[in-house]
Amino acid sequence: MNPLEHLRIAMDALAANKVRSFLTMLGVIIGVASVIMLVAIGEGAKTYIRQELMGIGTNLLIIVPGKTETSGMGHMPSGVQKLTLADMRALEKRATLVTAMTPVVVSSAPVKLGNRLRNVQVIGTDQNFETVRNLHVEIGSFISKADVDASRRVAVIGRTVKKELFGESNPLGRTVKLGETKFRVIGIMETKGVTLGQDIDDHVFIPVETAQEIFDQDGLTNILTQVVNDNAIDRAKQQITQVLVERHAGEEDFTLVSQQAMLSTMQTILGTFTYVLGGIASISLLVGGIGIMNIMLVSVRERTREIGLRKAIGAAQRDILLQFIIESVVLSMVGGLIGIVFGAGVAYGAKAFFPAIPIDVSTWSVLTAFIFAFMVGAFFGIYPASKAARLNPIDALRYE
Amino acid sequence: MADTPLIELREVRKVFVTGAIRYEVLKGISLAVERGDYIALMGPSGSGKSTLLNILGCLDAPTSGHYHLEAREIVSLSDTELARIRNQFFGFVFQSFNLMGRYSVEENVALPMVYRGLPRRERLQRARALLARVGLKDFNRHLPSELSGGMQQRVAIARALVNEPKVLFADEPTGNLDSKTGQEIISLFGELNAEGTTLVVVTHDPRVAEHTRRVLTLTDGAIVKDLRNGMAA
Repeated sequence: MNPLEHLRIAMDALAANKVRSFLTMLGVIIGVASVIMLVAIGEGAKTYIRQELMGIGTNLLIIVPGKTETSGMGHMPSGVQKLTLADMRALEKRATLVTAMTPVVVSSAPVKLGNRLRNVQVIGTDQNFETVRNLHVEIGSFISKADVDASRRVAVIGRTVKKELFGESNPLGRTVKLGETKFRVIGIMETKGVTLGQDIDDHVFIPVETAQEIFDQDGLTNILTQVVNDNAIDRAKQQITQVLVERHAGEEDFTLVSQQAMLSTMQTILGTFTYVLGGIASISLLVGGIGIMNIMLVSVRERTREIGLRKAIGAAQRDILLQFIIESVVLSMVGGLIGIVFGAGVAYGAKAFFPAIPIDVSTWSVLTAFIFAFMVGAFFGIYPASKAARLNPIDALRYE
Repeated sequence: MADTPLIELREVRKVFVTGAIRYEVLKGISLAVERGDYIALMGPSGSGKSTLLNILGCLDAPTSGHYHLEAREIVSLSDTELARIRNQFFGFVFQSFNLMGRYSVEENVALPMVYRGLPRRERLQRARALLARVGLKDFNRHLPSELSGGMQQRVAIARALVNEPKVLFADEPTGNLDSKTGQEIISLFGELNAEGTTLVVVTHDPRVAEHTRRVLTLTDGAIVKDLRNGMAA
């Protein structure tokens, strides 16, 4: 018998009970929609993090004081020796695989102009920061080597700081107060927005030694280094370690974090997150499948006489089996299709609200969800269908 | 092979086992159904006449014994082969019509041809021809529920005839009908038999039986009377 005939019979049966068919599909619709949606958002977040992390520079290796056991983000300073500018000078001479490096001192302070005040993150750094960190001045100039060497009181301000303190007026050459110290504004950074939870536009950049002076620190928060190329990262780590261990009396009291390590840590976390969310969503797909099985069992019972009649007029067990499996597969696949459209719609709708996150419905998630829906229908259809196929035609015909 | 009977049963037994109770419904039935015959199966309820009809129609398998359809042993055939035999050799008419409520009258009649694998257009064409034959040519697109009981039974008969069966089996075909419409069905059966269709009818209604050629009476799972009606001659 032509499979299209089975399909027609199945469609007729489903069309005869439209509301019930739809409600049965709803489980699969919700399941598939949530899989599509959550995977799209999870994958979007992954792409976002990758873009952001790549955006902070290329082939970065970050040296932070204190030893942590594992690679990746975060560290627990053990409070031993600090990283100093002298350490950095030594590295500049001896770590040949490092093309550029820049010191970073992070603190926070109120910045004032007249009676306007804003609390900002203050970054003490040097002339290489622009290159290494891939952040650029838009108007004016960045901190120069001379500014650093002479510990000048000059500041480069972020877009938000400029807007909040100066409004539309030109801040170049004007004086702001950082804490109690006066600084001359020499540049405005280009707009960058929020990167990895940090609003770069709300930062103020000053020469590193000036920062150490006014915040009374002799160490550095970290040193950013740029390695010559991707393949040299491990060797650069060895070089840096060698130099610093020598300088720190044989103690490895610092940690090297590569951009790659940060990226893979984040990717792993987000990947796991995506799988967990997808897994939870799959459970609702499974529940949807059980719903289909339930309704199919009811349907087989209701249509006992129909089954008996079909057998009497020439349907073999195989025909009845196929008829009911196709019914449940049609239910789950139509549900799957609606779910895909619905889930993709919500995902793209979310994109309109969070334009920064590159939410994208991937082909593989659509295919997986669809195949999964098909399998759910086939799997949960088998039991009711085989029950129908095994019915004795005489008993079935007599069934009231 | 003109003189081989269409159907031949030899020593057919049917035993139902429910729990510890073993119930022998048919106790060694031997019976030949000739081509063109018109047989009434009569007997009190529980005599096994319906079971015999089901076995004849391959809806049920005998516990032991032989069943030859056109000299071919079919007891050991697979479900698929038996389904094919039911589809192409037999037609069934039931007491309660058993029409599919969501299908139109013509689709109901066409249903056996679905399992025969005929294309839809041809199916509907033949279904309409059969509906005209049973006097329902204006009701092709109606739903069964829009028809009277007698008309529904005619639809069922058209459905049973649509694959040009060798035997038409009917289980109490007039049981749910008033006597006038019952009479119409009986005369339709008579016409069909006159046109060469073999019929086997289970009935307890003597008015049905008196129009047949042969009346078999069953009691306690055995044929106790086998009469040829005079009119058959």
